[in-house]
Order: sequence, then C-alpha cells, then structure tokens
Amino acid sequence: MYDKKLKIIWLTAISCNGNSHSFLNYPHLEQFIDDFEFIYHPLIYSKYSLQDLINKDIECDILLLEGAISPEFKKMDEPIINLVDKYAHKAKKIITVGTCATFGGIFSQSDYAYTTGLHFDKENPTFLFKSLKHKTISISGCPIQPEVLANTIYAIQKNMDLKLDNYLRPKEFFAYTIHNGCTRNEYFEYKVDNHTFGKKEGCMFYEHGCQAPYTNGSCNKILWNGVNSKTRAGLPCMGCTSPDFPKQNLFKTKKNMGIPQNLPLGVGKRTYLTLAGITKAFSIKRLEEDLF
Amino acid sequence: MLTKKEQKKEKIIRNALLLFAKNGFYATTIPDIASTLKMSVGNMYNYFKSKDILAKEIIKYISAYLGSKIKKINEEDISTKEKTKKIIEMYFKTAMSKPEMIDYFLRIYLSNREVFLDGCEGMICVNEFVIEVMIYFEEGVKSGDLRDQDFFSAFGLFMGYLGGMVFLKGENILPKELNDYIDDITYNIYKALSV
Amino acid sequence: MIKFIEKIEGEAKLNFSFDEHKKIDFVDIEFFSTRNIEKILENKPALDALVINPRVCGICGHAHLIATTKALEDCYKNIEVPNNAKILRELTLNFEIMQNHFKWFYLSILPLLGERQHLLKATFPSQILAKAIAVVGGQYPHTSYSLVGGVVCDITVMDILKITHLIDEVMKYFEKNLLVDESEEFLNYKNIENILNKDGDLIKTLLKFKQNSWQHLGRSYGRFVVFGQNSYFNSGKSIKTTVSKNLNFANIKEQTNQNSYAKNVTYKNKYYEVGPLSRAMLNKIPLIKDSHRKYGDSIFSRILARMYEIPQLLNHSKKLLDELDLDKPFYIEPKIDISKISGSGYGCVEAARGTLLHKVKLHNGIIEKYDIITPTQWNLSNGTKEKLGVSQKAMIGLSDINLAEIVFKSFDVCSVCTTH
Repeated sequence: MYDKKLKIIWLTAISCNGNSHSFLNYPHLEQFIDDFEFIYHPLIYSKYSLQDLINKDIECDILLLEGAISPEFKKMDEPIINLVDKYAHKAKKIITVGTCATFGGIFSQSDYAYTTGLHFDKENPTFLFKSLKHKTISISGCPIQPEVLANTIYAIQKNMDLKLDNYLRPKEFFAYTIHNGCTRNEYFEYKVDNHTFGKKEGCMFYEHGCQAPYTNGSCNKILWNGVNSKTRAGLPCMGCTSPDFPKQNLFKTKKNMGIPQNLPLGVGKRTYLTLAGITKAFSIKRLEEDLF
Repeated sequence: MLTKKEQKKEKIIRNALLLFAKNGFYATTIPDIASTLKMSVGNMYNYFKSKDILAKEIIKYISAYLGSKIKKINEEDISTKEKTKKIIEMYFKTAMSKPEMIDYFLRIYLSNREVFLDGCEGMICVNEFVIEVMIYFEEGVKSGDLRDQDFFSAFGLFMGYLGGMVFLKGENILPKELNDYIDDITYNIYKALSV
Repeated sequence: MIKFIEKIEGEAKLNFSFDEHKKIDFVDIEFFSTRNIEKILENKPALDALVINPRVCGICGHAHLIATTKALEDCYKNIEVPNNAKILRELTLNFEIMQNHFKWFYLSILPLLGERQHLLKATFPSQILAKAIAVVGGQYPHTSYSLVGGVVCDITVMDILKITHLIDEVMKYFEKNLLVDESEEFLNYKNIENILNKDGDLIKTLLKFKQNSWQHLGRSYGRFVVFGQNSYFNSGKSIKTTVSKNLNFANIKEQTNQNSYAKNVTYKNKYYEVGPLSRAMLNKIPLIKDSHRKYGDSIFSRILARMYEIPQLLNHSKKLLDELDLDKPFYIEPKIDISKISGSGYGCVEAARGTLLHKVKLHNGIIEKYDIITPTQWNLSNGTKEKLGVSQKAMIGLSDINLAEIVFKSFDVCSVCTTH
C-alpha cells in the first residue's frame, strides 16, 4: 500500500534548529529514513537544496515547519511567507514543529514585525494561513520530543484519524499534563513544599515555578532521550509546550497571598485549597526525610 | 435536603453550643445535653460517640456556616473594599445573633487545643472558613487591591482584630454596639492590607 | 561569484572575487538574519536567561547555558559554587562538544569529500552523548539544569554507572569507526605518521587530503586563542608556537559589520582562530602539534584536532566522574537573592567551536544589558581586504570554490549562534 515513500520538506524559519537536533535523537531513525524521504532538510542529506526549494516547483506530501514566521523574515533573500505558502498548498499535511512554529515562542519577542506561529499568535488564532488549518497538526514543545513528531508522521502515513485539541495538537500526546509520571508526585500529593535545588526529593510547584501540573505534554510519559525528564532531574517544568512560553520569572511560583496563581489543570480553587489544607495538616515523616 | 438523622445532629449541635456558652465546656456533660433535648443518653451516643467527637463536629459546623456566608460574598461582583466590609458585617452579625458560635470558636476551639489534636490537625476542622478567607485575600491581590504578603500575616491581622472586638464586647467593655465600629474597622483593615 | 552555503547550522552567503590568475582574492561572508536574543533578554529577571539562552542554538545550547550560569554567578563576585556542580557542568558540556564533533564530521565534512552522508554514523554516538546529558540534566537539547549556586540534580551512584557505560560505549564506537587501533596507545602518539597507517573514517579522510596534496589547504594566520579555562582546557594565546597565558577580556572587541548581521571579533585588534585546533595548541597535544608543524593551521589539522578531541574528552570525563563526591552538595543557595544583585559579570566557556563569551549587566536582578560573542564570530569575522578575518584568509588563493567551501566548513560554522 505504501509502495512509495512520503516526501517530506523540513523548512526552518526563525528558529534555533533545536527541533532538528532533537529529532536526530529519535531512536529508530534508521527505520524512519527507510520509510520516509526528506526531499529537503536543513541538516540531513536531501535531494533538493534550499535554493532548489526557492527556484523550483517541487512536489511534497508533508511540510514540516520549524520556527516562527514573520513577513519580514527571509531565507536566502526569499520571504519565508512565500516559501510556506508555496509548499503548504502542495502538501497533503502540514506539521508545525515546535513551539515557535506553533505559537511564535521565544522568537515572537524578536525584532521582526508580526512574528507568530503558523496559525497562532500565542493563544490567539491568526488569519494569514487560515485556509490551511484543516490540514495542519501542531506539535508544540521547545524542543519537540522526537517520538511525538515521528509517530505523528507515521499516523499521517497510515491515515489514522488523530484527535486534536484546540491548538491542533494530537491528544495522544497532549491530553496529558507534564505532571503525569513525574517521580516527585508524592511530594505534590502530600503538599510537602520544602524543595531546594540539588535534591532528588521535593516538588518544585510551590516555590520554584514548576508548570508541570498545568502544562500539556508527554515529557514524563515518553522520557527524554529515553532516560529522564526535567522535573525528574530537579528542574521545574518551564511550560515550553504552552502558547505563552516563555512566561516571566520562570524559577519562581507566582503566588497571591500564598495561593499559587496557576493551579493544576481543571482543578478549582476550592478543591485545591481543601485538599491542600487537609494534607498540610499532617506531616509524613518519610517524605520529609531524604530518600537515602 | 438533610436526612432526619442529620437534622437531629444539627439540633444537638445547636443545643450543645448554647449549653457550652452558658455553663462552660468542661462543666457540660453529654447527659446534660441529652436532658435538654429530652433524649436518653444511650440514644445520644448513637449520634455522637463521645464529647470530644461532638466538640469536633461543632467546630466543623461553625466553620461551614461562616464559610458559606463568606463564599456568597466572594462570589458577588463587588470591590475588595466592599467585600471587606461585608465580611466584617457578617461576622459581627453572627456574633450578635448567634453569640454562642463565635464564643465557641474563640473560647473553646482556640483555648482547648488538646481536645482537637486528633482529627482536627492543622486547620482541617476550620477548612471551609479558612479557604474562603484565603480566596478573599487571593482575589484581592489578583485584582490589584491588596498587597501580596504571607497568608498568615494577613489572616492574623484580619481575624485577630475581629475576634478581639467580639471578645471585648463579650466582656462588656465596649461602650458602643459592634455595628457602630464597622466603618472604622473596615477602613483600618483595608488600609492595612491594601497596596 | 556568489555561493550559498547550506547544511551548516543555518545558511550563509559567500561572495568570492578573483584576481587575474582566477584565484580567490577576497570573500565577503554574509549571514542572513538575526533573532535579537540579546534584546529579548533585556528587562527580564536574571534567571530567565537560563531558559532563554540555550535556545540561542539547537546544537550548542548547553554551552550557552553554562556560560549564562557563569556570567550570572560572576555578578555576585563571591558566590560559593559546590565542586560537584562544577564537575557536572564540565562533564555535560564535554558531552555536548563531542556530539557536535560527530555530527560535524559525518554530516558536514564527509559529504563534501564525495562520500554519501552517513546520518546514522553521526546520530548513533550523538544520541548516546545526548542521553548522558539527560541522565544529569533531564533532557537534551535545551535543559536549564545548571543555575546560580550549582545544579538542580542530585545524582546517585546508579547515575554514575549509567554515564560510565555511555562514555565507554562512545569510546568503543570511536575506536571502531573513526580510528581503528588495537594498541590503545593512540592518545599518546607524537607523530602524524603513527596514525596514518591505521584504519577508520578519520584516517581515510586524512589520507584523502594527503593523496590530493590538500594537507596544506586552508591555512590562516596561525593565531590561536582559548579563553574558556577549565580542568582540561588551558586558556591563553598562541601565535605560531609562542604561547602566552595572559589574557584580558577587556581586549576583546566586537564591531558591527556592514554587509552581514554577524559582528566581527578581535583580540587586541587582531583576528584569532578559536576551536579545537586552538585548544590542542594551548594544551600542547603532541599529535596535533606535529600536524601543525608539518601542515600549519590547515583543514587537515583542523579536522584532526576536532576529532582527536573526542577520545581526550572521553578520558577526561571519566576522571571527572571519579572526582564527584556524592556526600557533598550539588547546590548551595546563594546567600543573597539574585533580585538584590546589581553589577556585571563575564561567563566564558569552551563550546564545540571554540570560546564562547557571555557578558551580563544586572540591576536589582533584572537584566539591563546582555552581550554574547560566539566562536563562529571569531573564526568567520568578515574583515576587509587589508585585514582579513581568519576564515577569509584561509580561503584566499584557492581557485576552486568547492574547496573554499570545505575550508569554510572546516571551522564548523554555526550561523544560528552567530546570528543570535
């Protein structure tokens, strides 16, 4: 059925190439490049060069866009908007790879005018490429997790019907919160809030700005580089899959009179405070002590 | 709708509160409470297994009562200053119409902590009340009216002040009615807490 | 004549002019864009730079993280940083440097020499090295695990075991694929001829240069500088073979460039080469010194220096692991909160491509000014005919622009970093 490989163009706009490099960490890359053909890629050998992309009219099945776009940004003197327009219309599916391509990300703060993601400017929809929305899938993350991108591409190849959230992200990966699967969960559950950096114990939600309970993604479900995650290591989740990444004052929990401004996704304030009040009334020796 | 058993429980609590206020916590026994309700002592134990359990249920009852009142104020679309005034009004109104409630809170719950050690750890038994005060503070900070600070430094100022006034009233030291102080107290508390 | 350079980190435009003998007499180097990271940082809380700066670059973001940490710590003047944290920072930065070298060799250099691109030969070791960073820092790329006062993690003996195995695996890979040598002596070789009779992709590449008589190709000033002193790299400058240890950050000057978004960088008004060849010269690595003696600062020496750095760093990384003391802290909370710190600081590290410098100025913990000087800015400074940049000088005199591209790429160009 798949007698011919789907042709992929990986286009980079205003970016750091972090997604390209993250994808090179995909463990089954060998199989992947047997199954698909990058007809243009910024690092991997490809049939066409960027110059070909600009000068010629090349057929492609999937367009991957990495990086934010702006009417002012050019690739080799060609406006990126023109390149996106040309290949997005040819492609059967478009994937915005990373938070910049999806929401604008860090580089929405750069000096280029109107720097946004393909369909979103932070959480607000944009209109320039509205007609392409029906064939776009967003994969946010700074950077993306390689497996999330690879398996989304396989899902396209196999014509799977992926359920998407409001930002066009596959629910298979983005219905979870980063909190799911964090090894520090017990400290969160029992509101043991004495975290300091450099410890394997403790939860970063109360003091150190961890956004895991209200950020969507699979970081603690599909481990990074197959071994770990930021929160497991002891680094707060910076909310890098979110429309408003990066927020400010990232290592500090924003609190109003002691109550965290951002609560776990979908958990009401009274529910959270009731639970917190109850668990905080008890002290659990095991969780107050070092693990070993 | 409350079940019959719950209604009866509430009746016991209200009666117990009155007796505690009149005769003191330690001087009041389960048989005393049973007899004012014309219940047998045995039947009484069907509702509350001990006086300590009753004591804890009472504080939860008061907390829920005050909490539900503040929740209503929190949900109103009014300024933080107006909320401040309404909470103070509500508290004083309760102190006047149901003095045994505030009395229990100040004189029994806060003064006999040993009774409440097991089962009322931390603020578990006053959770509903404390949470609403937290939300009042939090929304005040969020809307830019109140200064962000440690919860307890604000809570102590607010509740200590109101408790103190009710205490003075109870000792018959206050020359005027509690209601006469509402405007000044609102002014003082709001000024102390605002940005 | 214009040539677009692709498949580096980003793209660049080279505009060649030729003399009457059809030899290159000038090259104008242009980078296309800038993302204004330095401006994005202004008015942000200091620690946010730890999250933003790795995003300068997808391949060497970790170097930016460590440079940021050091620049912020330098603002304190006397801050206590635990030894364990210093060790881990060096270790994870070593891993990043090595994954970069593998990718450069197999993705950028070999295809220029008529070889097919061996994607998996690059990704196999680079995935292992990324994994080793993740064991400590949670993920790669784009972790922010190093912060003012130490590192966030608290690793265990099991983590050390894991990392040891990963290092061994990469060493095995190097010995199997890059430099096949049974003797285990290859780190002590003093003579180029000692390795040229061996097998492996690195040796085959070097031999190809010899066969084509290209081993002198791409020579520049022979001026080297290294600022990022650590437990392995020695800082200093070396002109031909004269080494001087005294360096002063104040002598580094950045000038804006008319034709390109990248700024030029000089030390005492002179262009210097940074990177693995410079580091090997300052570290007096016998094999590289021999290559330099015979072929100068040529592509040959650059390729050898860069790839020969891998086994050195693997060995040194194992020593670093041994120095960890798990009973000691990984983080010591600074006595003064950063929101009360005003002042400025330098953070300097050796990144894969050479010296990376961060300068920050804080006012009450808010970033007033941030300045980043990347290795590629040093090597690819776009000078004038009268005063050529390092890579420009290296391309002068060639007549084949494809060879010029090899010379250009021998500096391992990071356009992404350079147009931060």
